[in-house]
Amino acid sequence: MAEGTEEPGDALWEALVALLPSTKEDLKLDLGEKVDRGVALLLRQVVGLFHGGRRAECLQASEAVLDYAWERLNTGPWQDVDKAWRQVYAFGCLLKALCLCQPPREPTAVAAALRVCDMGLLMGAAILGDILIRVVAVLQAHLVSGKRPDCSPGQELPSLKKAKRDHVSAPDMRSERAVPRLRCPSLQHFRKYFLLPGRPVVLEGVADHWPCMKKWSLDYIQEVAGCRTVPVEVGSRYTDEDWSQHLMTVSEFISKYITKEAKDVGYLAQHQLFDQIPELRRDISIPDYCCLGSGEEDEITINAWFGPAGTVSPLHQDPQQNFLAQVVGRKYIRLYSPQDSEALYPHETHLLHNTSQVDVENPNLEQFPRFAEAPFLSCILAPGEILFIPVKYWHYVRALDLSFSVSFWWS
Amino acid sequence: MAEERLGSWFGFGFCGFGQEPGSGCRHQVLSPEPLQAGGDIRHVSASWSYTTLVTRGGRVELSGSTSGSAGGCRDAWASEGLLVLLRDSPGSQTELQAWAPSSALCGEPLWAQDPEADGAELGAEAQMVMLPLLPGARAYTWTAGPWDTGGRTGAKAAGGTAGPAHGPGGSGGLALETRDLYIWGWNESGQLALPTRSLAEDKRTVTGEGLNQDGSEVERAARAEGGASAPFIAVQPFPALLDLPLGSEAVGASCGSRHTAVVTRTGELYTWGWGKYGQLGHQDSTSLDRPCRVEYFVEKQLQVKTVTCGPWNTYVYAVENRNG
Repeated sequence: MAEGTEEPGDALWEALVALLPSTKEDLKLDLGEKVDRGVALLLRQVVGLFHGGRRAECLQASEAVLDYAWERLNTGPWQDVDKAWRQVYAFGCLLKALCLCQPPREPTAVAAALRVCDMGLLMGAAILGDILIRVVAVLQAHLVSGKRPDCSPGQELPSLKKAKRDHVSAPDMRSERAVPRLRCPSLQHFRKYFLLPGRPVVLEGVADHWPCMKKWSLDYIQEVAGCRTVPVEVGSRYTDEDWSQHLMTVSEFISKYITKEAKDVGYLAQHQLFDQIPELRRDISIPDYCCLGSGEEDEITINAWFGPAGTVSPLHQDPQQNFLAQVVGRKYIRLYSPQDSEALYPHETHLLHNTSQVDVENPNLEQFPRFAEAPFLSCILAPGEILFIPVKYWHYVRALDLSFSVSFWWS
Repeated sequence: MAEERLGSWFGFGFCGFGQEPGSGCRHQVLSPEPLQAGGDIRHVSASWSYTTLVTRGGRVELSGSTSGSAGGCRDAWASEGLLVLLRDSPGSQTELQAWAPSSALCGEPLWAQDPEADGAELGAEAQMVMLPLLPGARAYTWTAGPWDTGGRTGAKAAGGTAGPAHGPGGSGGLALETRDLYIWGWNESGQLALPTRSLAEDKRTVTGEGLNQDGSEVERAARAEGGASAPFIAVQPFPALLDLPLGSEAVGASCGSRHTAVVTRTGELYTWGWGKYGQLGHQDSTSLDRPCRVEYFVEKQLQVKTVTCGPWNTYVYAVENRNG
């Protein structure tokens, strides 16, 4: 062990230890009967090794916890995965991250620990009062104050205007019927004329003063979230055979798919980014109209949609009401009524039965003849505007510019 | 009839709970090692955190997260939630007993009953007993049983069982039908011996093409030009025929949670899939997406007869080569 690598009073380590429960015995998970005895044994062992200062063995045991829990997380449909297993996974991430950061540590340890915590946030479930969020804050603060080997892409960030110049065509909408637009309708008016009858509408003046509208730029996103690991969809559309998902940091995503002329389309899509990064959550608000629904506010799913010009979401429908708020860039959106579903030829498989087989802007009318006559509404959604997509309303979305949207799924 | 050579059992892979072959000292074993328990073992069944050994004398011995032993045992099947034994009961009948693993086989089983007629078979040499499948018992959702019957000729794929899953991962099924090897299921770690993206990205794939002239590994194209579909396979949804290297014939097979092991007629062992804990036996932690021979047995001039996999480890029965 090299001399002087363990600094007296390592600030990062002290800050991390301060986050742990005050009594050693409280560093545990109460899972009851839900997990196998073997796992419970291993978890106790991990904690014992941690408190005993046996870092290498603790790391090894944490790794085994993660590997075993990962298998359970990947067994069967995600919604059927018991929350207990996700908590086990998160616990494994916590202990692994701690072990990595314990002095003396490698130069890459903090970035590695941050990635581990993000995995715990993405795949795991909240433990010990959502401790991973607090650990991330400590790690990120340390990365900012010191050197940032993995954070910045090492190149000058272009402004929004200069990012990826793709020749994306804005559609000729002269023959298309426009989605109606309203400026700050009252709750009652919105409910009576749009929510209840299930009619789309663009709401103006509702979101245009949200902090995100002024604050969000590539630089800002990079600064706040550059080191954070997120899931990215790679491939033109999710119905393609070679479509896949990858985990990467926001920095990597920006440098690989936004600022560069990438061969593939990368899209940070349908990700609950604001649960993972509370700082960004503060830049948005939940539209008041959501209170017209029957669900609770904490049941509203907020998703981020961040990508270059040209990203496409194939025509599909969702089982909840949707407010799609546009923050950066413009999106071309087409809407088809659920009443015309048959003319949209949904896939027959269970997995894709909510998705149309038709490529909206390049339909194969020989294969899908009825599509030509299906009526639709369209709009170009610009920053500051919110599109109301009624439940089950079919929608197709193409980004005309570098784009950042926030969707609110509510009932 | 050829005299039966007494062989011995070997183990490799994860032993973080102190189960064989680790016996408490090590977390994992990367190369085959003789089991501590000695040579009298006739059957092994391994769960994730513990391993059961059944001796010819009818003793079942547990090691790992639980310990203990008991007599009058013909066969055992281990899982995290349940330990199932086929035991002799008074009156020369056999009885199926389900135990909580933590009980260390003290006290009473959780339940006991007569094994069902169809499904319970005694092999010709009474070496292997296939545990029957019982409806409603969680333990039988996963079974390593029907496919690692080493000595059965023309082993039929158990037609009634759908999607055999081995271990908690539920990946990779195997069937031996007229000595053909079929694979299906999840291929995330290359456990189906089909090319997998995760290994290529780690640059750990040993591809069929082998090495380039300059010695660098051939890298499979992740995205082919011109829109051709990528050659990686994440899931194989129906059985596909798998050929072993050099046209070897499979006579036995077993799956862990993410790895696969096959015994050939000539007594060789091939393993592939997830290798992080040494469960492939190739002296390292590399994962592989194509079958590779475990050289240990070749070097020691041992004929592999049987293989049975726990979720993260592998147990092998081998005899000395006659032509030493």
